[in-house]
Amino acid sequence: MRKHILFTLALALTFGFKASAQSFLENSQVNGSFQTDAQYYMLDKGIDITDLYDKKVGINGFGKVNYTNGNFSAGIRFEAFLPEMNGFRSELKGAGLANFFATYDNGFIGMTVGDIYDQFGSGLVFRTYEEWSLGMDNALRGARVVIRPTKGVTLKGLYGRQRFYWAPYMERDFYDDDIRGIVRGVDGEWDLNQSIPALNDSKFRMSLGGSFVSKKQYDMSIFYYIPENVGAAAGRLNLGYGNWSFSTEYAYKINDPSAINNFIYKEGQALMASLSYSQKGFGAVLQVKRVDNMSFKSMYTGKQNDLDINFIPPINYTHTHSLPSMYTYSTQPNGEMAAQFQVNYTIPKGTALGGKYGTKLALNVSQVNDIVRDSIMVNDQKVINKSGTLGYSSKFFAIDKHRFFRDINFEIDKKISKDWHLTAQYINLYYDIETIEGHAGAPVVQANIGFLDVTYKINKKQSLRLELQGLWENKVKAGYEYEESEKKDYQKRGDWAAALLEYTISPHWSFSIADKWNYGNPVEEYRDHYFTGTISYIHEATRIMLSAGRQSEGVVCVGGVCRTVPASSGVSLTVSTSF
Amino acid sequence: MKKLSIITAIAVLMLFALGCDKIDINNTHKPYEPMGGSKTVLIKDFTGARCVNCPEAAEYAHELQHRLGEDRIFIMSVHAGFLAQPLGQFPNFLTDEGTEWYNNHDSNPLFTVDHVALTDGQTFSVEQIDTPVTNALNEVQLFEIFTENTYDEASRRLSVENHFYPMGDGDGKYYATVCLVEDSIVGWQTVPGGVNKEYVFRNVFRGTLNGADGELVSNGPFYIDDEFVTNSSIVLDSTYNADQCYILTYLYNKTDGKIVHTMMEKVK
Repeated sequence: MRKHILFTLALALTFGFKASAQSFLENSQVNGSFQTDAQYYMLDKGIDITDLYDKKVGINGFGKVNYTNGNFSAGIRFEAFLPEMNGFRSELKGAGLANFFATYDNGFIGMTVGDIYDQFGSGLVFRTYEEWSLGMDNALRGARVVIRPTKGVTLKGLYGRQRFYWAPYMERDFYDDDIRGIVRGVDGEWDLNQSIPALNDSKFRMSLGGSFVSKKQYDMSIFYYIPENVGAAAGRLNLGYGNWSFSTEYAYKINDPSAINNFIYKEGQALMASLSYSQKGFGAVLQVKRVDNMSFKSMYTGKQNDLDINFIPPINYTHTHSLPSMYTYSTQPNGEMAAQFQVNYTIPKGTALGGKYGTKLALNVSQVNDIVRDSIMVNDQKVINKSGTLGYSSKFFAIDKHRFFRDINFEIDKKISKDWHLTAQYINLYYDIETIEGHAGAPVVQANIGFLDVTYKINKKQSLRLELQGLWENKVKAGYEYEESEKKDYQKRGDWAAALLEYTISPHWSFSIADKWNYGNPVEEYRDHYFTGTISYIHEATRIMLSAGRQSEGVVCVGGVCRTVPASSGVSLTVSTSF
Repeated sequence: MKKLSIITAIAVLMLFALGCDKIDINNTHKPYEPMGGSKTVLIKDFTGARCVNCPEAAEYAHELQHRLGEDRIFIMSVHAGFLAQPLGQFPNFLTDEGTEWYNNHDSNPLFTVDHVALTDGQTFSVEQIDTPVTNALNEVQLFEIFTENTYDEASRRLSVENHFYPMGDGDGKYYATVCLVEDSIVGWQTVPGGVNKEYVFRNVFRGTLNGADGELVSNGPFYIDDEFVTNSSIVLDSTYNADQCYILTYLYNKTDGKIVHTMMEKVK
């Protein structure tokens, strides 16, 4: 009898488990993506690549899988840099599980453990993100709680330690130079339109938010007393009425001496504001920004893009064509005053200028200057930016004469007929290459840039696209006198011409040939051609791209965060898929 | 809901209160604290005459040396990498050994402390060397090194005899590298805003007397009364100023690459 009872119980448990497992699996959703970028490097005396330094191949790859079942989700990401491609930080070399997380969120409460990507407001005091093309990942490994106590109110709290390439997360395993701190933060947001029934359908929109983030770091300095707790707070306001919207955020950070700010003890401040108007066929936006000593890293010795806790959004036009994007602005966290104005207008269909399909026009003007820094008195001496002091004083609304960047561009986008489409843009550029790229003493880039991008639809499946681009510097061009010792600073300088022809057979194939020619470089030996040929194949969510040729020296920037790309020659392969 | 609001408010207030440390601006510098122990430390400063940030980094390292003990911290400037490549009027301080140590790392300036970091393929930026240097100074001294230089002015031949004395019993495979270093060379250096044509290059590594990896000193068990001796020699290049040259010898564990002691002796 006892055997029967046990058998029945086992049977019930087994079937019960199977039924529950089946139901569990039926409600599951799994998605993911994979990508491998590989580059085979070759010697190319023509562009001065005479040594590969024992690196013939660079391969960057990742695969991520996310699982969702109702209120539960979890995911992992595996990365391999074996070795890393040129232009990526050598610390990335290696392979392993880079990221994992598990989240439960029932609408009232959400909890996450593992690697957390999040942003408070516009990111002035906290943003963790991953950007594959930069080799950047500052995920916070720890825990996060999100509570929505009432409609329209969201409260967040999180803490953890940031990813630092492949460095271990536990202090007991730290390398000698690893003094990463712990990041803690809270954020609250109140959307009045959701909270107050009378405002649910109102034309007036309003939300408020506030954040506080603090890092707990270790004072390992020999020279200076380093604050072990550094806090930063921000407040934000979003307003809207009809077609108008306005948003602003102000952030403040207490003393945070670091390698980036030359160990000064001044407080940091940042202010951003944006006013925009949009209606059908017309849109305009005005943005302003002031940043003063706002680099915020979880390790005070960190440099470049390492361990950024915050993110300072750029307010500049993002160019995608090869010549305009050669000189992309990189945010200066130690200080900048920036403004951007953009207008988009569509000339309506059926008018003389609009034609049959309408004509899109866009004007963008952006400029970034330095902040004004006045000297301060220390021991009866005037000093400026001296380590161990407050550094300098700075009037909040004063703009320094030193201009970092200016971009004035005008674009026409026109569908001419059923088969022809045209985009043309003119850009007037001012780029302080000494400040932005660190080429000490190099003259400013002042250039006129233009491109024409024409697409011709041969038939329903086939199309041809032609890009013609030109970049003309005002001063630095063939014949410009330079110091022999500074020759290296003139790589990529002077006039350029570029052309690309792309033939597409939808939906699978695309073939292109392109050339960039630095014909007006003041240094004769740098007047090189950078030709490439590319074949790409797309099948559903899978893309395979093979290209061969030369890549010119430059920078890759995403959101004002940049990495340097060295000149190279060889063959590249990219394979990506998702499901 | 009310309880939740109170808990949230308390948590935020606590974070505000505990999350900020204000440093007294009149007291930002730490006092000088002499380090205990007797072990010496070698900082290899990978630099280049065309590296704009290198002078500032070298200054930082020298300030660290000055603060923690000039008799216990040695800095050797190893010119290597792209920014050290000879060009125009810039001096050529490249060496085969320096290039081998540099091992295609990123752009200068870069540092190693007693080969820590270098041994696992990494390097430090200058602000990251504080902790490794203090850690290294606090380590137990395993060997003592005595260097005896004999320099013949006429032939410019320098003979070096190094004596290595264990400070206790131990075991392991130890190698010694004998380096020639020249101090205070004046030449062109890129600095922020241009070129300093009269820059004083400190502690420039000129090459080794016994190869990049050095030579075997001890293999296996050793005892406190042991003595190990190595001999090497070099003819000084006619352009080197013998008055400013010295021999820097470091002994390292071949297994993990870590330097256990360094000693310096003037040529003349």
